Amino acid sequence: MARSRMEVPGGGRLNRPVLFGLAGRLLRAFLGREAAPAILGDLTELWAARVTEGRRPSLRDHVWFWRQVAGCLAPRTALAIRDQPPPSFIRRGKTMDTLFQDLRFALRTIRRGPAFAALVAITMALGIAATTVVYSAVDGLVLRPFPFPDGNRLIGVGTAYPRLGVELGFMENMSPAEYLDTRRAPSLQHVIAWDMGNRQVTVGENTENLFSGFWWGDAFQTLKMTPYLGRGFRPDEITRAERVAVLSYRVWRTRFGADSALVGGKIRVNGEPFQVIGIMPPRTLLYGMDLWIPMPVGPEVYRRNGRVFQVMARLAPGVSIDRANAELEVIARQVEGQYGSAFPEYGGWKMQAVTWTDINVQSLKSAAMILIAAVGFVMLLVSTNVATLLLGRSAARAREIALRAAVGASRRRILRQLLTESVLLALAGAAVGVALGYLGVAALSRTLEAGTLPLAGDLAVNGRVLLVAVGVAMLAGLGFGTVPALQALRLDPQRSLQTASGGATAHQSRLRLQRILVGVEAALAITLLAGGGYLVRSFLELRAVDPGFAPSRVLTMRLSLARERYPRARVEPFFAVLRERVAAVPGVRGVATASQFPPGVFLRQQLRIDGAAPLPEGQQPVAFVTLVSPGYFEMMEIPVRRGRPLTSEDRIGAPGVVTINEPLAARYFPGQDPVGKRIRIGSGDRPPYEIVGIVGATRNRGLDRAAEPELFISTLQADGLDNQLFLLVRTEGDPRGAIAAVRAIVRSIDADQPVYMVRTVDEALANSQVNRRLSTVLLGLFGLFALVLAAVGIYGVVSYAASQRTREVGVRMALGASAGSVTGLFLRQALLPVVIGASVGLLAAFGIGRAMASLLFGVRSGDPATLLASGALLALVGLMAAYLPARRASRLDPMRALRAE
Amino acid sequence: MTKRDFLGEFEQLVLLAVARLGETSYGVTILEAIRERTGRAASIGAVYATLARLEDKGYVRSWLGSATGERGGRARRHFTLRPAGTRALDASRQAQEAMWRGLEWKSRAEGV
Repeated sequence: MARSRMEVPGGGRLNRPVLFGLAGRLLRAFLGREAAPAILGDLTELWAARVTEGRRPSLRDHVWFWRQVAGCLAPRTALAIRDQPPPSFIRRGKTMDTLFQDLRFALRTIRRGPAFAALVAITMALGIAATTVVYSAVDGLVLRPFPFPDGNRLIGVGTAYPRLGVELGFMENMSPAEYLDTRRAPSLQHVIAWDMGNRQVTVGENTENLFSGFWWGDAFQTLKMTPYLGRGFRPDEITRAERVAVLSYRVWRTRFGADSALVGGKIRVNGEPFQVIGIMPPRTLLYGMDLWIPMPVGPEVYRRNGRVFQVMARLAPGVSIDRANAELEVIARQVEGQYGSAFPEYGGWKMQAVTWTDINVQSLKSAAMILIAAVGFVMLLVSTNVATLLLGRSAARAREIALRAAVGASRRRILRQLLTESVLLALAGAAVGVALGYLGVAALSRTLEAGTLPLAGDLAVNGRVLLVAVGVAMLAGLGFGTVPALQALRLDPQRSLQTASGGATAHQSRLRLQRILVGVEAALAITLLAGGGYLVRSFLELRAVDPGFAPSRVLTMRLSLARERYPRARVEPFFAVLRERVAAVPGVRGVATASQFPPGVFLRQQLRIDGAAPLPEGQQPVAFVTLVSPGYFEMMEIPVRRGRPLTSEDRIGAPGVVTINEPLAARYFPGQDPVGKRIRIGSGDRPPYEIVGIVGATRNRGLDRAAEPELFISTLQADGLDNQLFLLVRTEGDPRGAIAAVRAIVRSIDADQPVYMVRTVDEALANSQVNRRLSTVLLGLFGLFALVLAAVGIYGVVSYAASQRTREVGVRMALGASAGSVTGLFLRQALLPVVIGASVGLLAAFGIGRAMASLLFGVRSGDPATLLASGALLALVGLMAAYLPARRASRLDPMRALRAE
Repeated sequence: MTKRDFLGEFEQLVLLAVARLGETSYGVTILEAIRERTGRAASIGAVYATLARLEDKGYVRSWLGSATGERGGRARRHFTLRPAGTRALDASRQAQEAMWRGLEWKSRAEGV
């Protein structure tokens, strides 16, 4: 036989089994490089014998071949070569068989009790949905907010000026000269600086106002991102200020028709021709900037204290951020030594590198951690709840388990079977939960887009989120499966077989366990309720805060006059005409322009009070300095407490005057009358301003922060210092109704002047709280969910207890016990663990409140009203959940009850 | 003798094939020998699985032989009986014969 095969030459192309190469690869993968070749050789030989020369292999031949290959891949086929264990998945072969067996059995069990399975799966689904939403948010907003490779090596350089009372800041904090200083730090690579603003971009007929970055350096290299099309800026293009531009993918697609011919083509930026050299990758990279153009502004353009840039860099490979900071500290001290006399703010100033993620998401971190903790509590509660449900059910299954044990199934085997079931249920729930979570994340992402987060990443259910959801579900499945499974195994099989449901001892131990679990549920539920309660109360407190001005029915928008077309002298006239014309629109009650308005006030400057004794280091007066048009206070309904407001008489040529707010008066003029005093702004030699009035405090840093010192200069006396101003319009009716009219007026003054950040002041206030609102809504929902779960748990326990004690109830009632006393018996038994659990939960609520301190406003940890309300709510719901089955038990017909079992 | 040391039916067939074939025994010839003598068309995978088990138990040992053209240049893996394998075959045979001894019924004679 062997000889006849020898005559057949194998290996001809035509005479080969289909996908022969794949077969070889599979055999090698499954059996290892040592064992596979011999088997593959045999297969080749057998094939050659079967498909003799000249005959075309038929479909049957190929099927035969692949069946042979499949037979060899069966795990046990590995020809164990001495001293070399087979691959791990082969050793696991037996386990896999058992697993499939367990799975099949689990599916059968689930099919027999679909309602129970559905209850477990729904509970699980809600928990996993919460996990999915929270983890996607945390992943997208806090853990990986930016899509950049090696994102944790990206740093921003912040500056702090203790002399000015200015804390570490990262926005508009560096002058060109200081940017060049940071480039001397050897640990920093690809140091770039940029400023942001708006530019009008025209492609063909289409003009758009785009949020833009003006760059010193190639951001692509720093971010380690490659352009979608074209390239980034070359160094010579930066230094020679070439007219080249990079557009974001989204505007290129949505507004400019995704035309790849645009790269290399011309666009107009504020009317000037620019060449497009690249398109950013399909995500916005930084702060939603849609246009990048080079802007080399050397020290010759801005003074050393002309701080308009932010600076970003990459840490050199292997260098720690501490080392970079040590280098920056050396540079800061050199600068102080060299320029400290000319620029006193350099005294003790600090340059500090902080990772880009920390800079941008620090404010979200505490909220994120609290939400993660809350969702952890929710999952614990879900698991506990399912465990109580399973316990109730294991009563019904005791016989089955006992039977299996009696016919020789080992404890381990039964345990594994039960755990397989619970994990399967958990995963089924997880599948539904992830789908629900997907919807939740979509809703969340819409909410956040309206907000103002410095996001570049996506908020989405990505692979990491799925992994977490599935992992949590598996853990929960194991967790809630173990307790009832172990309890089931403790039973004596013989007893269980004799009685229908496992005998009296079994009930006792099961009931005890259920009560403990219900107590745990009550503790978890009240902790979550209190957590949500604190936030809801904070939210209510916040709504009651008086902002110090009237925010309703005020429309705002920002206008940035291009310096090329509006030299300083033309800025105020433009805004004056704008105010005049908008004021004439019917339904407009007041108009003002301002450089900033509450709650978004942030520009701070140092003050010097004439005649005041010099203050010690670090305590020099500092205040927000805001440019406002006359009529601002009246329009915003900010009361004038003393003196007078700024008027149209306070113009250039007239003496310089300012008004200050009450906090400034209180802090820097304690026990004095500031009106008539003189004050200087900044470190320059400009003449002092006279304080003519004191106005009421507004919540200028946000509703949740105390009002801070603020000083107001009239735009009429500012000489066009600030070319970016907000227009504020108070209307009779819906402020959004005035948008069209205002836009038309802007166009009538300057057809090319865009407006942006169009919104109402109410919206601005709401946006400043978007973080808090989100956590409040989520934690509030978690609290309610917890309440429902606890109710389900209590209901389940009482129902179970009642069903097990039917006979006893019958005896009691036959002996004359009233229905009320039977109900009371069950209620007392059910609610005792709830009361104990709730007490523990209230203690935990104190701790939770402390951890949440950063999110609380006007409420302290352990707030009695919140704790009382949470306790009352749980008591009420718990009572109802226990009462229903307890009453049902008391309505039994004693005769039938006695005959039960 | 523990339970493990009894040979399965297919194990016996494979061991007997290895014993018969001597130096020419490898996957293909073992397969062919079983088919020729018993009419049983086993899969090569089953043969190797059994051989692996037998090698594990120390009943056979294997070594790599020559590579030939019709095998696509892949070496044969030859198998040979070890003393423990011979003993196991003997034990199985004795056990079977002991069980068969004196047993006779119609269907066997009729070849059902």
